[in-house]
Parts: sequence; C-alpha cells; structure tokens
Amino acid sequence: MQAAARRPRTNHLDLAQRILDVARQRGFEAGAHLPEQQIASLCNVSRTPVRAALRLLTEKGVVRWEAASGYRLAIDLATQATMVADLPSAEEDELAEKILRDRSARRLDQTVTVGALMRRYDAERKTVLKSLKKLTDENLLDRAPGQSWLFRRTPDDPEAQGESYEFRLLLEPAAILAPGFRLDGSRAAALRQGMEALLALPDAAFDIREFQRLDIEFHSMIADGSANRFVTGALSDHLRLRRLPGTYAGVNVFRLKQSLREHLTILDHLESRQFEVAADLLRVHLRLSRNQRPQAASRGAPALFGMISRPD
Amino acid sequence: MRKASPTIALFPEASFGAALNCVGIAQALRARGARPVFICHAGFSGVFADYGFQEYQLPTDDPLSESERQSYWQAFVRRHLPHFRLSPIDQLETYVAPTWEAIVDTAANAEAPLRQLLARLKPDTVVLDNVIMFPALAAAGCPWVRVVSCAETELPDAEVPPYLSGLAADDPGRAAFEARYLAAVAPAHDRFNRLRADAGLAPLPKGLFLEASPDLNLLLTPTVVRRERAEPLDPARFTYLEGCVRSEGPFEVPVFPRNGGPLVYVSFGSLGAMDVGLIERMLAVFDRLPARFIVNVGGLRDSYRAVPDNVYLDAWFPQPSVVAKSDLFIHHGGNNSFCEALRFGVPSLIMPYCWDGHDNAQRAEETGVGNHIGRDGWTEGVLEKAILGLLADNEMRARLKENAAQMALKPGTDVAAEAILSLIRT
Repeated sequence: MQAAARRPRTNHLDLAQRILDVARQRGFEAGAHLPEQQIASLCNVSRTPVRAALRLLTEKGVVRWEAASGYRLAIDLATQATMVADLPSAEEDELAEKILRDRSARRLDQTVTVGALMRRYDAERKTVLKSLKKLTDENLLDRAPGQSWLFRRTPDDPEAQGESYEFRLLLEPAAILAPGFRLDGSRAAALRQGMEALLALPDAAFDIREFQRLDIEFHSMIADGSANRFVTGALSDHLRLRRLPGTYAGVNVFRLKQSLREHLTILDHLESRQFEVAADLLRVHLRLSRNQRPQAASRGAPALFGMISRPD
Repeated sequence: MRKASPTIALFPEASFGAALNCVGIAQALRARGARPVFICHAGFSGVFADYGFQEYQLPTDDPLSESERQSYWQAFVRRHLPHFRLSPIDQLETYVAPTWEAIVDTAANAEAPLRQLLARLKPDTVVLDNVIMFPALAAAGCPWVRVVSCAETELPDAEVPPYLSGLAADDPGRAAFEARYLAAVAPAHDRFNRLRADAGLAPLPKGLFLEASPDLNLLLTPTVVRRERAEPLDPARFTYLEGCVRSEGPFEVPVFPRNGGPLVYVSFGSLGAMDVGLIERMLAVFDRLPARFIVNVGGLRDSYRAVPDNVYLDAWFPQPSVVAKSDLFIHHGGNNSFCEALRFGVPSLIMPYCWDGHDNAQRAEETGVGNHIGRDGWTEGVLEKAILGLLADNEMRARLKENAAQMALKPGTDVAAEAILSLIRT
C-alpha cells in the first residue's frame, strides 16, 4: 500500500488541472510567474492546496521552482496540451479506469456491488465508493437499489454507436450555429499543432491513443464554444463516453488520418468565422465517421448490419 | 509502355476474407500509381472507402429492409449452426448445396447491373475474387483476373484433394466424396450453366462454377503449403502468391488483469462469431491456461458474462497487426487467416466449420504449420493440450519464423499488383 500512499489526492490533481486551464485561458507563456496568492484567488481556493498542486506540476516538469521568484510555468501550454493527461492519477481514478476496462471487456456484469468490487480489486471500501462516485458523476453509472450500481449503456456496440452518431449529428452543428459561438483560440492552436504532428507520422507509427485524445478535445472544444449552455452540457456528457475503452477500436489508419484532415478543414472555417460552412463540414465529417462495416457476411448471404441477438 | 494511371476494378465476393485480401492488392496497386476502384455488393459499401478507395455498389432489384436482413440472419444462424458441427461430407447437402444455390442467385442478380457498370466504368482490368463466374466480365472488353483466395483445392487436380472435403489427397474416401458433391450441387450447377448459355458462355464441367482466366490467375497459396500437382499450372497464366496481407494500423495489446504469458488470438470470422456457445466453452478453458487471449466476438459482446481476466473480447481487430504480435492463432481455416498466420510465422490451431476451412485444417497438419481439432466433440482436455502443445513447440515456431522471413521478401500484394499491371498496355 506504500505506492498508493504516494499517489496524489484527487483534489490536488483537479486543482493542478484547473491551474493549467486558467494559465492557458489567460495566455500565460513559458516562464510566466505563477504567484501562489494570485493562483489561489483565480481558482477560488486557499494557498495550501495551491502549493500542493504546484508541487505536483513541478514533479511533472510543467512548472519549475526558483528560489528567488517562486513558481514559474516551464512549458508553452499553447503547444503542449498533452501533459495534462500525463499527470499521475489518484488511487480512485486508477480503480475507476480498471472498472471501466473490465466492464468493456465484459469481465464485469451490468450490475456491480461495492462488496464484489472490493474483493475483485482488493481495495478499501472508501476507495471503491469514491471510484463509483466518480463514474456516477461522469454519467457512466447509476445507483441502483441496495448496495448495487448499474452501468449505463455506452456506445460500444454497433446499434448504440449508430445512435451516438445520430445524437451528435443533431447537436454538434447546432453548437456552432447557435448565435454567440466562441472559439477558444489557444485551444484551437494547440489542437492544430497536435493534429498536424500526428498526421505527419507514418501509418505504422500512428498513435491511436493520441488520435482519441485529439478527437475528443476537438469535439469538446466545439461543445464548449457553444453559446447555448444546454447544448454544451448535453454534448460534454455524451463526448465523455468516447473516452471509454474500445470506442476507437477497429478504425483503420487511413480513415483516422482522413478524419484529422477533416478536423483541420473545419478548424480553418471556425477560425475564419465561417460558422455555417464549418457546421456543414462537421455534419459531413460525422456522417463519414460512422462505421459502415457489416456485422456478418457470408457467401451468397446479404451482409448484416446492426445487432443480431444471441443465437439459440 | 504502360498507361499512366490505369483503372483496376476489383470485384470481391461479399465476404471479409476476399474483401480484405483485395484491399491488400489495391493498396499495392495504388502505390504503383494505378487507380484501384471497388465494385461491391450491397452491404459492403463503406468497407473499401474507409481504406480510401472509390466504391461502386451494385444495385439490387430487391433490397432487403433492415428487419428482413435481421430475420434472414436469425434463420440462417438457426439453420446452419448445427450443420457447422457436421463432417465435411455431411455438410454437402445441408450447407454446401444451399450455399451454391445462393451464390448462383447472386451471380444472376448481379449480371445486368454489372454489365451496365462495367460499360460505364471502362476499367483497364477487372480483378474477380470470387468462387463463381460473372458472365459480364467476359464481355467487358478488357482482361480479367481470377483471384483464387480460397484454398488451392478450388482448382481440381488428381493429386489435390477434392474441394471442401478436408481429406488428404490419397484418402480412400475421395471418390465417395466427389460423387456426393457432384450430386448435391447438380441443381445449382445446371441452373448456372443455363445462365451462362443465356449470356453466350460455354457450359462448365460438372462441379465447376468458375473457369480459369485466359489472362491471369492469382493463387493465395504460400510455398510452404503448396501442393505437387499431377498437371502443374501453366506459369504463364497462374501466379502463386505468398499470401496477400493488407497494411493495417498498429495494434496495442491491451492490459489484462491477469497479464502474463504468451498471446493467443482467436477469430472465427464474422460468421463463426455467431457460435456463442462454442466460444463460451472455449473461454472456460482459457481461464485456466497461463496465456492471454484476444477473442473476436463480432457484434455479440453483450452475450458474454464473467469473461476471464486473461481474456479480452472485442467486435473487430486490425487482424494482421494482431497476428503479428501473437504466439498462436486459433481460427476457422479461412484462407486469409491461414495466410496471415504463415506470413507472421505464427502457428495455427484450426477449428473449421465450413467450406475450405476443412481443407486448410488438413493441410496445416500435413505441412507442420499447425494443428486442427474438430468443431464439435472436443473436450476441455483436448483443447488445452492442443493450445499448450503448439505454444511449446519451439521447433515449429523456429521453422515458421524462418518461412515468414522468406514470405516477407516477396509480398503477395506486390507480386499481384505487378502481375495485374503487366496485363495493361497503352
């Protein structure tokens, strides 16, 4: 349990993330001074947790400590959006990831209990409860009667994936078209750089995890830019599901690279404030991204789409 | 002198093996400046576009609704799952003959739209990866290429076992199988010959549904499993390929809760994934073995519960990239899967359920590149012994790795693309 004791606390991780978000939003450049008091007031917390969060960021090389002037930003946030994902995770976060992984692989049933999870993962009750709360907060799980929790349906089968694309087709273009859409310029610049770097890789070295991160970040940026808070909320909740294991399995590199090029074209139009064109391109992009592969095929038989129920 | 950017129309049958094998050839053609396009059956559009190829879907007069397709497949699976546990000879009337009837229907329905499409498309060459002739190809006014992407048994010879029999070449049951095969497929064959006559083509001998191309025939038969023929194939028209493996993106091996031991990949193709009961029985065996298992379960993941900690299920995998990282490949004997196992030097444990899977199962054992066990009647001990035996066979592994290195020197996709382009002149 020593390793677990060294893990950062979730609230420090969350705060580290918030500090980076604030620094990015305010356009802090590499070398910018990060006074504890100013950061504390920007994040609406006291100085003690800020110090812990800054120490965490220092360990990751994102921030550096100078005896004379205190904490300074060590990297260019506009170009290094990846490092947030590199922060160490808290024990309950790691457990939540394991729970999701095992549910996705059908090692866990749709209904789980705290006791069974404690036994399976050799974890303390409070850690399991925190993990379940995190998954519930992320709309991946619902509390069921008694001590059980129920996994929500995720887009990991062809039918649910189809519904997910239909939902996004309705809302994502609308996010752009609602009057008042605002593009986060520094987020867009970091994304562009990341997507261009990934596109430049040869197929054999293509990083599907990095694609997943960029894809979610791109679509989340559009959701966050909407002036309609309900559209933002609904899309953000839904896009969170795309973080789940297996969501990007089976898409070949040609299509993923094509998808990145489509993102870049949409970004061009968003940056030049041609929102209607961007919304139309986004619609086309989502239609092209929907998996068309049949579920089953055999000589002389019509190809099957969608699900087939378990054979007798 | 060759035309700068010839249009090559690839026309695979509506099965993943043929479709993805043609993707490999098309990738090699594209790399050489040609313009490969796909003619595809309804339901396969989108598969090739995802690899960046233009598609032309054959229109059908009678497209099925979504619910009709569901019903068709429910009935198909209900009817045929029991047949997949029969011996090859007992599948002749139950599975093989009805399948040939359906294939003849496909050819008949495709004829008119295919003629129209080819007239419009004016390809420089058509590549047919199928088990039946489409008379429209002979009338297309350009060379056509036959890809034999099933086992080599598809081309008969006195020294080659009968197609779909799963027999050895010298098996005493050969004559009985051949007689029963010809009788079972006779109605479909008669109907097909009438279709050919209507289209101005000569009839084919009994039991044959596809002639050799006068121009070029490509066989997906790596040297290590190739057979000696009583009448060798004419090298001017027949080219053997060392497999035909497409290029896929990288595959990251997932982390397993029980994360040790060799990696075993299991895929029975999209049709084999329907046999949930069989896969469940296998998972129970995997649970107690010191290995990790990646299992393709198609769209039926929700049928599984309490999956063991050393097993990972998913609906689709970039198969060549997974096989390349595996220590053993358990499959149904589909020729594409078999060739991929050979290409990456991985032993095959074949559990065939139909068609040429039986032939490849037999051949894998004859040539020492794997083993096979029946689909039905195996016990947990038999499966466990087969898996552990192959994983421990270092001599076989070394031989396969050496063979794979030889195959890599002469990629089938490149050889196929060069041979196809050699047909084209300005």
